[in-house]
Amino acid sequence: MGLLSPQDEATLKQHLSGLVHPVQLVLFTQTFGGSDSGDVAKKILLEIASLNEKITVVNKNFVLDSDDKAKYNVTMAPAIVVLSDGVDTRMRMYGAPTGYEFVGLVEAIIVAGTGTIDLDPETMTWIQAVDTPTHIQVFSTPT
Amino acid sequence: MAAANEHITADAIEATEFMDLSRKYRVTGVPKTIVNETIEILGGLPEKMFVRQALGLPEEASS
Repeated sequence: MGLLSPQDEATLKQHLSGLVHPVQLVLFTQTFGGSDSGDVAKKILLEIASLNEKITVVNKNFVLDSDDKAKYNVTMAPAIVVLSDGVDTRMRMYGAPTGYEFVGLVEAIIVAGTGTIDLDPETMTWIQAVDTPTHIQVFSTPT
Repeated sequence: MAAANEHITADAIEATEFMDLSRKYRVTGVPKTIVNETIEILGGLPEKMFVRQALGLPEEASS
């Protein structure tokens, strides 16, 4: 049985229907010494990917795939790196994407898959003016 | 923000999964946002207020 109800799946499928670019969800998990949340994350991503053919899940081993870990600067597992047509969007999710994190993941997929960022034009000018490395970390909980 | 500017990286972190990191940044409530290890934003804010604080822009920048 899936984690999403048939009704949730239908709603999510509708939200994802506007994707025009392929989206790759690169999932880093740790087989030994890792938490169960890696398995939960994998299950969630596969369910999302089953709803839209433009979404694919790429599984990576946090310990063995060190080149990819360095490439995407992934520091913890489980981690999800969101790519838009193979290009890093610089959006990362650490931990199983449940609760509020799930909403954030879906929004990240829509941004990556549509190329559309739904922000106020003035806000966008502030963001686009940033010319130094800026690392934003947002902490949340499932409920 | 990250998708809009190549200089920006955004991590969404499940606080209860990564307790060491949560302790490091004294996450006592969520959402809590840390920018470049220096700026702290606790709670959810309206879009403009959040971006302004996250980027360290002065208040008058929005007027």
